[in-house]
Formats: sequence, structure tokens, C-alpha cells
Amino acid sequence: MTTYIIRRLLMVPVLLFGVTVLIFGMLQFLTPIQRSALYIRSEPKTDKAVEGVIRQYGLDKPLYVQYWNWLVGVVDNNGERKGGILFGDFGYSRVASQPVADLIRTRFPNTLDLTLWAVAPVILVGIWLGVQAAVHQNGIIDQAARVFSIVGTSFPTFVFGLLVLMIFYANLQWFPPGRLSDWANRVVLSDEFTRYTSLLTFDALLNGRFDIFLDALRHMFLPILTLSYINWATFLRVTRSSMLETLRMEYVTTARAKGLPERDVIFKHARPNAMIPVITLAGFQVVGLLGGVVITETVFTYPGIGQAAATAAAQLDVVTVLGFALFNGFILIVANLAVDVLYAFVDPRVRLS
Amino acid sequence: MNAGNDNTLLQVNDLVMHFPIFRGVIQRQVGAVRAVDGVSFDIRRGETLGLVGESGCGKSTTGRAILQLYRPTSGAVHFEGVDLVHLKGEELRRMRRKMQMIFQDPYASLNPRMTIADIVGEPLIVHNVATGREVEERVQHLLELVNLNPSFASRYPHEFSGGQRQRIGVARALALQPSFIICDEPISALDVSIQAQVINLLEELQDEFNLTYLFIAHDLSVVRHISDRVAVMYLGVIVELADRDDLYLNPLHPYTQALLSAVPIPDPIADAKRQRIILKGDVPSPVNPPSGCRFRTRCPIAESICAEARPEFREVKPGHFVACHLVK
Repeated sequence: MTTYIIRRLLMVPVLLFGVTVLIFGMLQFLTPIQRSALYIRSEPKTDKAVEGVIRQYGLDKPLYVQYWNWLVGVVDNNGERKGGILFGDFGYSRVASQPVADLIRTRFPNTLDLTLWAVAPVILVGIWLGVQAAVHQNGIIDQAARVFSIVGTSFPTFVFGLLVLMIFYANLQWFPPGRLSDWANRVVLSDEFTRYTSLLTFDALLNGRFDIFLDALRHMFLPILTLSYINWATFLRVTRSSMLETLRMEYVTTARAKGLPERDVIFKHARPNAMIPVITLAGFQVVGLLGGVVITETVFTYPGIGQAAATAAAQLDVVTVLGFALFNGFILIVANLAVDVLYAFVDPRVRLS
Repeated sequence: MNAGNDNTLLQVNDLVMHFPIFRGVIQRQVGAVRAVDGVSFDIRRGETLGLVGESGCGKSTTGRAILQLYRPTSGAVHFEGVDLVHLKGEELRRMRRKMQMIFQDPYASLNPRMTIADIVGEPLIVHNVATGREVEERVQHLLELVNLNPSFASRYPHEFSGGQRQRIGVARALALQPSFIICDEPISALDVSIQAQVINLLEELQDEFNLTYLFIAHDLSVVRHISDRVAVMYLGVIVELADRDDLYLNPLHPYTQALLSAVPIPDPIADAKRQRIILKGDVPSPVNPPSGCRFRTRCPIAESICAEARPEFREVKPGHFVACHLVK
């Protein structure tokens, strides 16, 4: 078990190196002066200034020098370090006129908040429904779940998103888009509200402001609904088919032959074994959501990382987009590590291999 | 069949197991796989009844229907005088203590997420036979009984070989001290060298605990070795049932004769001299079996009566039952 985890951990630097090389390679499609956004805020205007910037930051040097500079940054005339992704400096977003890292810092907590609230219902309800559908195959729950899931998979996010917007915002005015109401926003930005975690819902609870918590949830409800519904469909189908397969396994018959009550057969023998592909899927879904759900965030004007990435991409702000890609790569690696470790707990066969 | 006497442990009467086939949008039943279609036999306390036949003839289904792992379509199964077919829930669960099963595939029949101790000990816990330390001790004892090192208890099934896994399956089946065990092709997934080990183990355990076996197999020599009586199945019905030696030396049903003539003899000269009966054609579909005698489509001696009436399963000699019109 320990060796298995250590081996997985040793893979992390290798993967990180691969990700950085890939992103760095893509940066090379930019001209040297476009790449200066990695180090300085604004593009120099005169030819002379351009040359000076290129020389100072080694933007015409061999690739390995540039790669190293990109990793650790360059010290400028004032003795300040500029750039250096290892120090968390991803360069400047000239469109958003702020450092990319700051953009991530303000936007990512919103996406994380949304993800946490969307993932919990997806996983819990998805697994529950999937198991029920499999246990009562061809029963009412199963038929309903299948219709529900086929509709969910076939619904494009933007259609479903617009539909719920029209019903719940335009007509009923229950759930507004955006992040917070104006009154709540004023409180959050004031001094009396401490940002402990940057996650609005959690901060609101920690500050004892239940009204702000509810306001945040109210704004998140439609994106959560959209993301849950679309992801439920996949989750339910994978859980159902995996569970059906497991229920046909001979050790399930063995468990019955032992004289176990049927609920023990299902919940102690079949379900744990059926969870293995479900965990993989959960990992993928969490990563997908954390990477920013571009369409959902755009439809609901939710200020998450996906919306920021879409804006940057639309204005050809390549340095920002690649900065997000790099960040997303890190998250992917961490999430995969988590899934691998989780596997070892769920499946004893993995521990040895 | 003859009425059960005190010595009868299990009595199977006209057991039928049909699996319905559904088709179309509204899932209408369009037919059924007649896996087991009217099977009757007794098993006496302490004996081993061998059940042989080709793949797909319904041997395993018979075993599972007896244990109510499939609920039979009709027929009766009496175990120690109790009708199992109409038992439900808690009552059936309690009966399972007395009858266990050893499965064919030692790789698929052990839950990969449980340790050996959990697999073998679980029946003791769910039936409130033992708790805590006592479960551990019983598991250790059971592992010793099947010649496994008791210190293996904390390991997982994938760490064992096929033969070891099958012995774990035997230990699991023995945990509740059952009186009856169905061995569903317990050795056909194992290497030949390991097969003997498991067979010998099963025989030793039978002597020690006075176990009764229903031994399902397609290997005729193994069945001859281990069984007291043997039943031959073809397409969901039993065609012949007799004492082992009687059946092997003096088979009456043409299917049994063909089956036995195909057993290889480890002597090239004798093997070359004997007459082998080669059956023509394939086994008919159990969805739509032939009328009358099910074997008539492949029978070398079939006559017109065979297509008209289903042959009665009758006792032609004391203890020797045959279902064939042409056997006098």
C-alpha cells in the first residue's frame, strides 16, 4: 500500500514536467514581444523599447534558456523578480489588466464553490439511483431513471441552461443569475466580512451571515441544477451498468448461498465492487468541473474560471489562456493522484500491482 | 420415484426451471429456455450422487434450483422433509445453514474485496453461530481443515492460486457445518494435478463429517471415482440413473452408451479395438426441444414412438432408472 502510494507520488514530478513542456511549447507560437506578457504588464511601444525588453528577458535566447527563465523568472533592473511559474507568477493578462495569478485567485474560488455544491448531489444521488435502477432492473425506478438519463445526456448544456433561466428567472424570478445580490455584495466587500476561505458560501457561514449564505446559494442554484442534471445522467448510467455486471458475478451468488439477507448481498458484496469504475468517473467529473464549466458559467454570468478563460480566448489573450491551462494541468494531476489512492482503498488487487 | 424413507436427505420431484424470453417494446414473453424440464431423484444421507451431461444440459441449473438460488418454475424439493420451494425470506435463510454450494470458478466466486477471514467467517456471523474471537478461531480451524496455512487468513483472494482458492471455497462451504453440499463442477477450472488434491480433500471431508454431495461434472472418470450413484442428464431431463458400477458397466440408455464410449482409455490397443458411438448433429435448442423423447433427433436407434410420447422415467432393474421407450 505504502509502496503503491509512493510510486504514484514519484510520478507527479514527471507529469508536472510534461505539462510545463507542453504549455511552454505552445507559448512558442507567439512572437517574442507577445511573450513579454509573461514578465511585464504592458507591451512596449517604440522599437528601441521592444528590443530592450527582448534582450532583458532573453526572449530571443535558445529554448532551454527561455524555459528556465519561464520557470524561475528574470530579475529586472530594480532587483525585482518578474515572471517565474514556480513562484506562482503566470504573467500578465493584458485583457483583464491584472496578473494571471490574481485572476485565478479571484475566479477559481467561485468555480470551486460551485463544483463542491454540484458534485455532492451528483455523486450521492447518481450512485443511489444507479444502484436502485440496477437492483430493480426493468422496474419503475429503472425505466424512469433511464428516460431521465437519456434526456440528460442528449440535452446540450446551453439549451438546458437557457431553459431553466427562462423558467426560473424570467418567468418565476426565483433564482437570479450572477454571484450575489447588490446588498450582499456590499457586505462581502466591506471590512466587517472576513474572507477566510474565499469560498463565498463557507465564508458566509463562518461570518455567521446566514442571509448571505442563502443569497449565494440562490444565485448558484441554476448552475448547480444544470451541472447536476447533465452529470447525473452519466453517473447514473455508469453506476447502473457496473452494478448490473457485479450483480451477475458468482461471488454475489456465493453471498446469497451463504444465507446473507438480500440487502447485505447488495450493499456489502455487490455495491462496493461496483464502485470501481464510478470512482474513475467521479475523478474525471470533478476535474472537468474545476477546469471551469465554460458554457454553464457563461450562460449564468457566473464569475468563475471558465467564464474568464472564455473572455480571454475571445480576445486572443493567449498568455492568460495558457496560464489557465497550466493551472488546470496541476489540478488534473492532483485529482488523478487522489483517484489512484482512493482505488487502493477500494480494490485490494490494486495495492500489489 | 420411490417414496422417501428415513435415509433420504433430499428429494427432488418433477423440478422445472424455465427462463422466460422477453421480446419487443412491451417486453412480451415470447418463449422460455427450458433449462430443466421435469427432473426427479433422491439423494440418500451420506452418499454422493454424480450428475453428468454435456455443457448446457441443465446440470448447474438443477443444482441452483435445488438450493433456491433460482426459484423453480414448478416441482418440489424436499430437504429433510421440508419443502424448500415454498420457503421464503428468513425461513429459507435459516435452511441455508444446512446446504451449501461449491462453485465452478474459484476466481469468480470469491469477493475480491474481502479477506479470506471475512469470506470464510461471514456465514458464521450472519447466522449468529459465533462472534468475535470465536469466529477467528473457527476460521483458523477451517483453513487447517482444507490444508491451508491459517496465517493466510488476512490475505485477499487474488493472492492465491486456483487450487488454493477452491479450497477456500470448500472451507467457506463447510463453515456452517452443513449436511449437504452441491459441488458444481468444482474441479473443471483447475489443472489436472490440482484436481486430485481437491477431489481427495472432498472425500476426506465427506468421511469426517458424514457429508452428502451432489457432484455435478462433465468429466466421466472423476464422477466414476467419487460417486455412489450417477444420474445422466440430456437437454433438461435425466435419462438414466443407477448405481455407479451398474451404470458404467451396463449403460442402458443410448445417450449414456454414446457418452461412455467417448471416454478415452489409457491403452492404445484397447482403445483402437472398441466401438465408439458417434452422435450426429448438435444438441437441439432448449427453447424448442424435440417432441417425445428429447434425444430422438440424435439417437441411433430411434423409432416412430419416440417422436410421439415422452418416455417414462421407470425402474427397469432395482435401483436402475431409464427414460427410453426401447429399453425393455
